[in-house]
Amino acid sequence: MNPPRLNRPRLNPLRHPWRTAAEASALIVAVVVAFPLYWMVLGAFKPAGEIESTEPRPWTLAPSLDSFRRVFGQQDFGRYFVNSLVVAGSVVIVSALIAFLAATAVTRFRFRFRTTLLIMFLVAQMVPVEALTIPLFFQMRDFGLLNTLGSLVLPHIAFSLPFAIWMLRGFVKGVPEALEEAAYIDGASRSRFLWQILFPLVLPGLVATSAFSFISAWNDFLFAKSFIISDTSQSTLPMALLVFFKPDEPDWGGVMAASTVMTIPVLVFFVLVQRRLVSGLGGAVKD
Amino acid sequence: MTSVTHRPTWTPWLYLAPALLVLGGLLVYPIWQLGLISFFRYTQAQVSGGEPTTFQGFGNYSALFSDPQFWQVLLATVLFAAACVVSTLAVGCALAVLLTRVRAVPRLALMLAALGAWATPAVTGSTVWLFLFDPDFGPVNRLLGLGDHSWTYGRLSAFLLVLLEVVWCSFPFVMVTVYAGIRAVPAEVLEAAALDGASQWRIWRSVLAPMLRPILTVVTIQSVIWDFKVFTQIYVMTNGGGIAGQNLVLNVYAYQQAFASSQYGLGSAIGVVMLLILLAVTLVYLRLLHRQGEDL
Amino acid sequence: MNLSPRIPALLLTALVVTACAPQTSSNSSSDKDEKTGTLRVWLFQEVGNEPKQKVVDSVVAAFEKAHSGINVDVEYIPVETRAQRVKAAFNDPSSAPDVMEYGNTDTAGYVKDGGLLDVSKEFAGWSEAKDTDPTAKTSVTVDGRIYGSPFYVGVRALYYRTDVFKELGLEAPRTMTELAVTARKIRAAKPELYGLVVGGAYTYGAMPFIWANGGELATGKDGSYASAISGGSAQKGIKEYTSLFTDDNCPAAKCAGMGGNDTITAFAAGKAAMAIGGDFSHTAVEAGKVKGEYAVVPLPGVSAGSIAPAFAGGNNIGVLKSTSHRTMAVQLMEQLTSKKTQTAMFDAMGFLPTFPDVRQQVAAEQPYVKPFARTLAAGTKFVPASPAWSQIDSSSVLPTMFQEVISGKKSVAAASKEAATKMNDAFGSAG
Repeated sequence: MNPPRLNRPRLNPLRHPWRTAAEASALIVAVVVAFPLYWMVLGAFKPAGEIESTEPRPWTLAPSLDSFRRVFGQQDFGRYFVNSLVVAGSVVIVSALIAFLAATAVTRFRFRFRTTLLIMFLVAQMVPVEALTIPLFFQMRDFGLLNTLGSLVLPHIAFSLPFAIWMLRGFVKGVPEALEEAAYIDGASRSRFLWQILFPLVLPGLVATSAFSFISAWNDFLFAKSFIISDTSQSTLPMALLVFFKPDEPDWGGVMAASTVMTIPVLVFFVLVQRRLVSGLGGAVKD
Repeated sequence: MTSVTHRPTWTPWLYLAPALLVLGGLLVYPIWQLGLISFFRYTQAQVSGGEPTTFQGFGNYSALFSDPQFWQVLLATVLFAAACVVSTLAVGCALAVLLTRVRAVPRLALMLAALGAWATPAVTGSTVWLFLFDPDFGPVNRLLGLGDHSWTYGRLSAFLLVLLEVVWCSFPFVMVTVYAGIRAVPAEVLEAAALDGASQWRIWRSVLAPMLRPILTVVTIQSVIWDFKVFTQIYVMTNGGGIAGQNLVLNVYAYQQAFASSQYGLGSAIGVVMLLILLAVTLVYLRLLHRQGEDL
Repeated sequence: MNLSPRIPALLLTALVVTACAPQTSSNSSSDKDEKTGTLRVWLFQEVGNEPKQKVVDSVVAAFEKAHSGINVDVEYIPVETRAQRVKAAFNDPSSAPDVMEYGNTDTAGYVKDGGLLDVSKEFAGWSEAKDTDPTAKTSVTVDGRIYGSPFYVGVRALYYRTDVFKELGLEAPRTMTELAVTARKIRAAKPELYGLVVGGAYTYGAMPFIWANGGELATGKDGSYASAISGGSAQKGIKEYTSLFTDDNCPAAKCAGMGGNDTITAFAAGKAAMAIGGDFSHTAVEAGKVKGEYAVVPLPGVSAGSIAPAFAGGNNIGVLKSTSHRTMAVQLMEQLTSKKTQTAMFDAMGFLPTFPDVRQQVAAEQPYVKPFARTLAAGTKFVPASPAWSQIDSSSVLPTMFQEVISGKKSVAAASKEAATKMNDAFGSAG
């Protein structure tokens, strides 16, 4: 599947100076966007006392690993990390599968209440999460899931589904009807079309959607604070970050180091995603 | 969209079953509870069984509507969210187009930077931005030669600072999605347009935007929902709502007035009001699209 | 697309149907008083938690040895998560601990939520309890009943730069008026410094000004409070505090938004000649640029030689109502807050003991404690022991009042009157 080349230079040689300007501005924007991130990583490496210095320098002469030591030195840090991976991983996989089916249903079929359903999918995201925490708490209690990772996985699946379904609609719609008809003419069954033809074509979209579910599950504080009550072995990574936010004397070095540690896995995930996203999509829509 | 080929059968419902099961149980039911709670006196004492719950009718709502601060905050929220949505979409779309104009290395650089911004936890993002713009400890004022100008003292400049952070962490989603969408547009279409001598803006308006409409619709609705509910950025960057509460938005207001002190009844009433406003905005937006001949 | 009005209609119907009430949990006190089994304990997780853990471990080991068949399971929870965790524990007694540490301003709220056990009888019978600091005792008392045992106190005093004072030939201020005059002198001589760094959102730094002028936050007791913030003396205090937010001391543009932590940060970074900081800020200041160049004195009161009453912060340890090991849990609470443990805890973490005699003893070893111990000895004050306090606090009633005055939006009289109305609303609704 070759992505279409939009910027084939031989088509229009005049584009060259423009491209140089475009590339220069892209790089400048990249630097500006990355600067806060750089500041975060820098803060993690700065020795104590230098973060809040009246002479802010964009470098440090005495990089120190103390902040990272405080992060990794926390009890059960590794455990939290694995828990976070388990939660985010399960949310991504389960919600992607469910959303794929649902998105197919609402784009390739027409049935009563279709629009109503679509709106309902959005409604859930419109209320403040704090308000839903209480009812969800009682539900998790009744399911016997409190203090387990399940109490984090289930609500996150529910909260990422509406968005995933809405996102995927566009991607599923992009697959031409003709392809589906052709598949049936070739004698493919409906489930064969669904899983062996449609699914691979929508995969890039699924991956893009998953990136979102991954982040929201990975960065969540609220559910972890509310549902993991008495069993710290079921805690997740953001809890390790929260330790550094003490009301009277926050430890900024620790905050920056913990944030860096939290951001890296997502970035890795993204880098993997990014290739799929860009390479797969063009082919998916071409007839 | 062309007509859908399938006649109504039970198949869509089969496909929808898992989603409906999860959403019905974990979203519809809690939202129903939310509505219920908004009519009760329901604080932590009631939740944990210390006191009985009492039905209040519209008590929570009338308390809310009679608070002049609520209306002020509501107006600020609507304007601020609108500014965030417009800026995020503009920046995201412009950079998405830019991405298609450059070669692999700058593209990768911009992509990575944007993904990094997206991946940063909101708490940290806000803290770092605050550090960057700190009058005493931040590099931005040094760079711009602003001395010790305080960004968070003026109402508008504080909102502007938060807006910058919000755009920073939410444009990547728009950019990546729209970029993916543009890549999906057949190259021939764009080449034909370019050969016809159409300008960039014209290509975007007449060729890309219509083809990307399903994606843009989603991106817009999502941005409206998220930006209307901004919490962490305001809470962290303006220290809980700014000087004398000048930078309060609805979600922070709800938190301060209700959730932080466990007044779930009042908080749920605010939640219901937010839901209704967002629902109205979404329905109007979808109806406008509908009028332009778009289909959901 | 077919958007019928039926969706909003459906929603509305769903909302209006209130046939059954929202869910609640029953958190009645347990009748059981088992002498064996597991005691669950929640303590706050500090940034450098190991020393605390060591002290607790030795207390626990001794306790387990003394009571065979009892197993103590200690869990350290991040301070930031306490609100949700504690609420959840009240909602789900099976996940709740038997004994927990909590911030002393939360006492009244937790009692109202039905979470804490009344330990008045045991507390009265405990030999060490009679030595407890009276303000610390207030912080575990609601409606005359005792709901826990003080674990440590935190109190604020005046940090100042010895090098700056020496250079300008100044002395530590002895009255509040002198404080303001000294601050302005410094700022005039060294415009790059704040004289006394203050914060519009630094409620606990502002309270001493109100109290020193004879004002109160609220009057009344045992559940029926009325705001006194708009009273004449309180207004005087508000005026005195807010008058510090001027370009000749701490410019409003920068200081109005500051909280307590920001002021200490500025002091530690060498941006201020004076700051109001707690004993718990000692580490942060020591790590900053001003190490070795500062001293601490009690915050002066209105008349020379007097000390402005400070807010007595700190943490308590209480027993949860849902415990099924009442006797054992209360005994463990006593062990965790005993004089011996508090001494060890001071050595490990710098937490100030709640017993004046123990405090004196540690102040002799660690001179930096002296000004804080003196401040405590001079008499401290506490916020109204009402569940409404958490509402007043979280909705920023007092910071809003200060900031309205500082930014010139309202007069002291108007702002304090508005704050009083909000406070009374909260007292009225939360009871």
